[in-house]
Amino acid sequence: MAEEYAGPIIQMRHVDKHFGQLHVLKDINLEVAKGEVVVLIGPSGSGKSTLCRTINRLETIDSGEILFQGVKLPEEGKELAALRAEIGMVFQSFNLFAHKTILDNVTMGPVEVLHRPRKEAEAEAMELLARVGVAEQAAKVPAQLSGGQQQRVAIARSLAMHPKAMLFDEPTSALDPEMINEVLDVMVELARQGMTMVVVTHEMNFARRVANRVVFMADGQIVEQNTPDEFFDHPQSERAKDFLDSIKGH
Amino acid sequence: MGVAEVFTEFGDIYLQSVLSTWLMTAVCFAGGLLLGIVATVMRVSPLKPLRVVGDVYVQLFRNIPTVSLLVIFVYALPYLGATLPYRTCLIACVILIVSAFASENFMSGINAIGVGQIEAARSIGLSFTQIIRHVVIPQSLRTTVLPMTNLLIATLLTTAMGSQVPLKPPELTGMVNYVNSRSVAGISAFVVSAICYAGTSVVLGFLGNLLDKKVRIIR
Repeated sequence: MAEEYAGPIIQMRHVDKHFGQLHVLKDINLEVAKGEVVVLIGPSGSGKSTLCRTINRLETIDSGEILFQGVKLPEEGKELAALRAEIGMVFQSFNLFAHKTILDNVTMGPVEVLHRPRKEAEAEAMELLARVGVAEQAAKVPAQLSGGQQQRVAIARSLAMHPKAMLFDEPTSALDPEMINEVLDVMVELARQGMTMVVVTHEMNFARRVANRVVFMADGQIVEQNTPDEFFDHPQSERAKDFLDSIKGH
Repeated sequence: MGVAEVFTEFGDIYLQSVLSTWLMTAVCFAGGLLLGIVATVMRVSPLKPLRVVGDVYVQLFRNIPTVSLLVIFVYALPYLGATLPYRTCLIACVILIVSAFASENFMSGINAIGVGQIEAARSIGLSFTQIIRHVVIPQSLRTTVLPMTNLLIATLLTTAMGSQVPLKPPELTGMVNYVNSRSVAGISAFVVSAICYAGTSVVLGFLGNLLDKKVRIIR
């Protein structure tokens, strides 16, 4: 693309999805602007993870459309792979490549997908690993790292692709409590640097601190969305009030 | 005639038969692994027709006795105008059967990888073939060293089917027939062949264990 795309990076229009009988996404309409941090929250089973995964088409949709930088998501093949390369994704279970060293985990995308020279990719990978604080682990394999370290490597692996936006699917839910902050700190830093982020999380403090917008989902629908302060202090819907009551004290 | 006399009388040709068995084992196992990888890639491909062909292939050659397949190659193929040398028939049969079992081993290795790593690979933009090459095959190979060692030993023993066709030089089991028809040392020849099989298997098993320790993926 010659010109910088100025519109919303992610647009979802009338998106519906079923898992068999279950209607998991109901008429979802959502736009994410460049540099915006959108946090998806809601009770488990509300469809927030599924929504997150439809954005890089790890989940297909039944109807409606999803646009990335104004272009409709390709169905399959090379175009889809090229699009995925532009969207970073961080998973709940880290999903590092178990047979590769930490360094190779980070360089695989740049070398294989972007065809960058290995030396150059390795130099940048080391910078990224230093940035997320795990540079000294570069020669180890994932199983030798703690969960928090693995998740930070996973973030570095995504960043190595120079993504236009990043998706975080419950990035701290599989972590021991003492490791949650080390991952959140990296995410806060990313947000500060202007990364466009869609984050599914139960970390309400993170949402309050970092989000530009909180999107509350229940039963496959977006029930309400607002700035974090408005949402947490003055929820409009009964569902949101119940949800916030249920997690008080966390 | 004792074991020692078997050696003095048939030593040279016995050595050739050991080498024949080893060589066929190596060729059949290598061919079986390659074909097994091809079948497995078909079985996990996004295209349904390919998956079906891969599944049918594996079911077919996993469930047919080697001797039946050999009969087909030796006696039926000539009717179709393809008369292959005996050794080629044998090697082809063993490769087909080994590849089916190799594919089953690979599938179990793939199941151990977990869908998460595949999704991660997809989300950094790797194509299907890149995911197969850089994630699926290396991990699957490294997690299945022990079952593949079993399969290698099974390949070694399956080459004994070569005793059912005339081979020159014979392999270890055919060698027993060879000795038996020329002297009264049938039992001794059996013992010698059995020792060769067992000795080879033990060494292969040992090497397999070593390799497994070296390449096994820490999870």
